[in-house]
Amino acid sequence: MSRQDRILTVEITDADGGVFTLHEICERGECHAEFVIKLVNYGILSPIEEHHLPRDWQFDVMALTRLQRALRLQQDLKLNLPGLAVSLDLLDEIQQMRREVSRLNQRLRQLSGE
Amino acid sequence: MDFKDYYAVLGVSESASPEDIKKSYRKLARKYHPDVSKEDSADDMFKNVGEAYEVLKDPEKRTEYDQLRKYGAQPDGSFQPPPGWQSESGFGRGGYTEADASKFSDFFEQMFGRGQQPGGGGFRQNIRVRGEDIHARLALFLEEAYNGCDKQVSFAVHDADARGRVVARQKTLKVKIPAGMREGQHIRLKGQGSPGVGGASAGDLFIEVELAPHPQFTVEGNDVLITVPISPWEGALGASIAVPVVGGKVSVKVPKGSSSGRKLRLKGKGLPGKHVGDQIVILQVTLPEAHSEQALAIYQQLADVEKDFNPRAKLHV
Repeated sequence: MSRQDRILTVEITDADGGVFTLHEICERGECHAEFVIKLVNYGILSPIEEHHLPRDWQFDVMALTRLQRALRLQQDLKLNLPGLAVSLDLLDEIQQMRREVSRLNQRLRQLSGE
Repeated sequence: MDFKDYYAVLGVSESASPEDIKKSYRKLARKYHPDVSKEDSADDMFKNVGEAYEVLKDPEKRTEYDQLRKYGAQPDGSFQPPPGWQSESGFGRGGYTEADASKFSDFFEQMFGRGQQPGGGGFRQNIRVRGEDIHARLALFLEEAYNGCDKQVSFAVHDADARGRVVARQKTLKVKIPAGMREGQHIRLKGQGSPGVGGASAGDLFIEVELAPHPQFTVEGNDVLITVPISPWEGALGASIAVPVVGGKVSVKVPKGSSSGRKLRLKGKGLPGKHVGDQIVILQVTLPEAHSEQALAIYQQLADVEKDFNPRAKLHV
């Protein structure tokens, strides 16, 4: 079988990435629900809508990637929860600023006709 | 096989104390953590640093490594373990370790073995593990994000081979990207991640979209921005000008008396999708590179007529 034969064509049905329940996000993140609940209480993760009961929570893909990042940072750098919260906030801010800087640089280049 | 100098990786001397090694490891782990660093090589550096620390933090492994380093290193930088080499530190027999040894280098494997494999050996039949989710990034040109496109995406998945060993395999998919994707948006492809073990379901593939910089357009949210040069007389008198939009051009009326920086909003000409964006045209008054004598004479006339106009009034000069 040639390499080309194995290339599947897939269509996107979930352009917004879909939603996950608490159980699903824990399964994907390979962590306990208690950990996710703590992250929510620290404001590190937010469910799509505020519900009183954690079993009604739903999360988007951004929350999943954030959870996975939090788990890696916690495991690799031995961060505690307040440390995690600060790090993730700062990393988000850095990413936003990097995007803004590259956008502004791009506009500057276009303005000066380079 | 190349020799790995774990002391050099951690930037410490052979005689470094366990405290120094720990300190250096912590510093480098923070620096090269793939979630923190922007460097392309961060992933490899982080793995190297973790591997080096795994060996040097453990007195037994460190002693073994020191011996190997002394006797196994060849003058050409390659490495051959001495004949009959067998690790005594227990790692080779699947001893407990916090680190995931399957991610370590061949050099490490040769020295200390592979460690335990998830789902490996005789337990394979009893274990059901959902396949790993894969996260990938995909850079699109603005035109591709605007129109939608077919994109080939390659990524590594982890799969069990016939003997139950976890192996990395390259997987390629052709993905139909819908029109109107935004920077930072995530796409989920169900079941396209790593296969599950023992009949469990496969993981998903998540693709995060990035937009490649465009020479003319910039994107802000749903809107597309473009700077469009106009002549001084087009600005002064007003004009109908051609303006590029993504994938074409439209005719735009420049109002009389338009200065540089004036913004014109072209409704619905931004990114398509649930919330259709606008195109924002930013005017920029531009002079020809050279003027004829006649044109200069007209400018002189204009200067005389408009001598009360102070464009620097706001600067109080």
